[in-house]
Amino acid sequence: MAENRNNQENDDFREEFGDKLMNHDYDGIKELDNPAPKWIMAIFYVSIVFSLYYFVYYFIMDGPTQDEEYIEVNIEHEKKYNAKGDGEVFVLLTDEASIKEGEILYKEMNCGACHGANGEGNAVGPNLADNAWIHGCDFESVFDVIKNGKSSKGMTAFKNQMPDGKIQKVTSYLLSKLVNSNPENAKESQGEECK
Amino acid sequence: MEVQKFYYDNAIVRNFILATIVWGVVGMIVGLLVALQLAWPVFNFGSEHISFGHMRPLHTNAIIFAFVGNGIFAGVYYSLQKLLKARMASDLLSKINFWGWQLIIVLAALSFLFGITTSKEYAELEWPIDILLTIIWLAYGINMIMTIARRRVKHIYAAIWWYIATFVGVALLHVVNSFAIPVTLFKSYSLFAGAQDAVVQWWYGHNAVAFFLTTPFLGLMYYYLPKSANRPIYSYKLSIIHFWSLIFLYMWAGPHHLLYQALPDWAQALGVTFSIILIAPSWGGMINGLLTLRGAWDKVRESAELKFMVVAVTAYGMATFEGPMMSLKNVNAISHFTDWTIAHVHIAGMAWNGGLIFGMLYWLVPRLFRTKLYSEKLANTHFWIATLGILLYAIPLYWGAITQWLMWREYSPEGLLRYPNFLETLTQILPMYVLRVFGGLMYLAGFVIMVFNMAKTMKSGSIVANEESEAAAIDLTESKTAGESPHRFLERKGMKFTIAAFIVLAIGGAVEIIPMTFIKSNIPTIESVKPYTPLELEGRDIYVSNGCYTCHSQVIRPFRWETDRYGDYSKIGEFVYDHPYQWGSRRIGPDLARTGAIDGPMYKTAAWHYSHFMEPNRMNEQTIMPAYSWFADNKVDLTITPRKINAMITLGVPYEDGYADRAVEDYLKQAAEVVAVLKESNIDVHPESEMVAMIAYLHKMGRDISAVKKVDEVVPAEVKEIVLEETPENLEAGSVIFSKTCASCHGANGEGVATFPSFIDAEWIHGDTPTNVFGIIKNGKPAKGMMSYKNQLSDKQIKQVTLFILKGLDK
Repeated sequence: MAENRNNQENDDFREEFGDKLMNHDYDGIKELDNPAPKWIMAIFYVSIVFSLYYFVYYFIMDGPTQDEEYIEVNIEHEKKYNAKGDGEVFVLLTDEASIKEGEILYKEMNCGACHGANGEGNAVGPNLADNAWIHGCDFESVFDVIKNGKSSKGMTAFKNQMPDGKIQKVTSYLLSKLVNSNPENAKESQGEECK
Repeated sequence: MEVQKFYYDNAIVRNFILATIVWGVVGMIVGLLVALQLAWPVFNFGSEHISFGHMRPLHTNAIIFAFVGNGIFAGVYYSLQKLLKARMASDLLSKINFWGWQLIIVLAALSFLFGITTSKEYAELEWPIDILLTIIWLAYGINMIMTIARRRVKHIYAAIWWYIATFVGVALLHVVNSFAIPVTLFKSYSLFAGAQDAVVQWWYGHNAVAFFLTTPFLGLMYYYLPKSANRPIYSYKLSIIHFWSLIFLYMWAGPHHLLYQALPDWAQALGVTFSIILIAPSWGGMINGLLTLRGAWDKVRESAELKFMVVAVTAYGMATFEGPMMSLKNVNAISHFTDWTIAHVHIAGMAWNGGLIFGMLYWLVPRLFRTKLYSEKLANTHFWIATLGILLYAIPLYWGAITQWLMWREYSPEGLLRYPNFLETLTQILPMYVLRVFGGLMYLAGFVIMVFNMAKTMKSGSIVANEESEAAAIDLTESKTAGESPHRFLERKGMKFTIAAFIVLAIGGAVEIIPMTFIKSNIPTIESVKPYTPLELEGRDIYVSNGCYTCHSQVIRPFRWETDRYGDYSKIGEFVYDHPYQWGSRRIGPDLARTGAIDGPMYKTAAWHYSHFMEPNRMNEQTIMPAYSWFADNKVDLTITPRKINAMITLGVPYEDGYADRAVEDYLKQAAEVVAVLKESNIDVHPESEMVAMIAYLHKMGRDISAVKKVDEVVPAEVKEIVLEETPENLEAGSVIFSKTCASCHGANGEGVATFPSFIDAEWIHGDTPTNVFGIIKNGKPAKGMMSYKNQLSDKQIKQVTLFILKGLDK
């Protein structure tokens, strides 16, 4: 019965495909003698040519290595952003808007993770809401600690995360609003009392 | 010849089908869990055993080896017997294959729960299970080859070519990638280190995709698609071309997983180019499948099984075009470390592997149980839910990937990273993670519908465990006949075919791995990089055990937006003691390669790490990192530490002779230092706790290279005659390198600082020819404080800076 059905299909396929139908039979599966489509072979050859060119470009024509690419990118980066305001002088800001902005930055930059949400300090960083300072209490000193960090004590340098103008605002917030605010759970003061 | 009576073994096929269904449900539920964990970290349940780092490998392994693996066996055991007109050669080997495979799956799941892992992706199994896997796989392969030898058909059909390639390919990959030195029953160290380990791992990882998720499925397609559609295979010639080209080319493409990472440029280029050449051979399978359906498309409309197969083959075509595109370096810069890759693999996994298994089961189960499918309507429902589920899964992840990449690389007008806090770039895409959960849920729902449909179908029919059949015996020894093509001849010779396939697929791996392992110049060492101390080594093992690599990478690519965020980009020589390497493949959290570089952007104090492990949300409110508070309670087993040191010595890590005996002493000494530092912040930890080891390890990463020590004497390498190209571009490039690298000691204008010499007077201590200056920069004069730049600057860059010093400075 099954044999008959197969024979019937064989005849149908023979009629449909003629000589293309090969003399192959695997559990009833037939195969046709079609060539691989031209376009797929074309893609194959083009991809081989592309790859040969790729190798020639990078290893014979001296195309850039990834280290060299990195230098190129840095050159472009420096060119594009070279007006970083070197030499500009930063001073304490006292206007309401700047201090408010500094407060927002304090949250955004996650200062609270180490210094407490209200500057009270925690296991990681010192209290900022008293008036004792480990590295000096004048504007320049605080600005410098934020900008360049004190890596030995765990203070991150923020120079790659905030431009100087923003550091100026955070510094202003610390010195104008946060000092002597005496929040709850304040950590013991460290450093020298500011005079 | 005489007609022989024999019996097909249908029971083994049924067993594998049941295992496929059971493990499919398990693997997808675990998949749902990991998706939930990323969307809402509360689903980590505060548990050491089911946190994301443990569950992610469980999901990938359960899907690949349990669901897909059993699906392959089911499909192969049925079609192989039919195509060869022979029962499987050994029932015992069939049973060993079945029960051994299920045992491996259970052992794997248990070991991941308990943090027993090698951390090599999709090869996380520890050495005893690896050995078991090898034995079971050989049982399967030998059984198959013996069956081929006892066949009652003259030629081996195309489907079986793919089964043979699968067997030899997986055997080779699994064995080489699993080379390791055991320390205990539950712990081993990879034989390879750093960049070498990475090359071997991704040769494996990429080709696990090839030889476990592609070649067996092409074989299944060549059987079940024409059977289901009842149409002849479109092109026998195409079958031959794409079979041999695919198995040859695939093995070369592994390094495309390591683009822009700490790997020699030549190896990366091989990964790129061979991936591109793979497009056509991969598409050969899709085309032969789709063209076979010519004249049968009316059947596709009604039949769920054919619809699944069409979507599977189409998704295969899309994924094998997308894959090569992702292997281009500029595209890879986006796709690597983002969810692009996750979306890509799920399209392939859900639609191609899943779809073909579903299509096959809808065809096979009714035939095996001699009945009709319980409900064609439910099968069609399954098809539509699954297809929509795949889209709902993948599209949000593509969206999230591009979004996150754009945020990573965006600069503010001041030239600084716009989103310096990594977390911002993650919280932005969390809504996409939520959508993905629903996509996965739909796919799982479709699967459950199929389980119901299958159960009903099986119940309504009955299986003949040993199905009687008969066929004429044939003479397989006949030599090559006149006019027979060489390939047609090879199709008659099972052993020759197997050996030919092995040779063809072994070439690619050999060309990449052997030079990486044995040619020293591929792994330039860095003098300052020291082996891990016992404490750091134990910390690293904890890192491995907890699957930290599933979220955190340890390799920084040479992109400005990565070096600004994480620190200097990674060099090959940094990883020479890393058994295994830990570069990772997805950044759900930030890169950790420079957490120990004290002046780098990633450094955090011990107290910060302690607080972060205990309560991550306290340090970063929106973080999805689970807490690892058990680090404070779990103790490191110091009785094993000396054996670990000895294993490392065996692997060639240069500890002094007999260092194992002093390892614990050193461990406790360094641990006491960490404890003392934490004490300053009023934190008490036990020196033997995992916490201390983890902090020490985090403070080791990137530290050695951040403070390159001078050595008193080095023998400089011979420098060939150097000719400078004086162009404005080279001068400019030299000037930039000078100001970044040289100016700190030699002055911004080359005037010299303190004892460091001036370049603008007429006096030259070591000569003023380009060759002299080039040689000093390249090799240094450590005794005088001049460091060597050969590991930091390429020869081209050194030439540029030499040019700038000689010609660009105002004398």
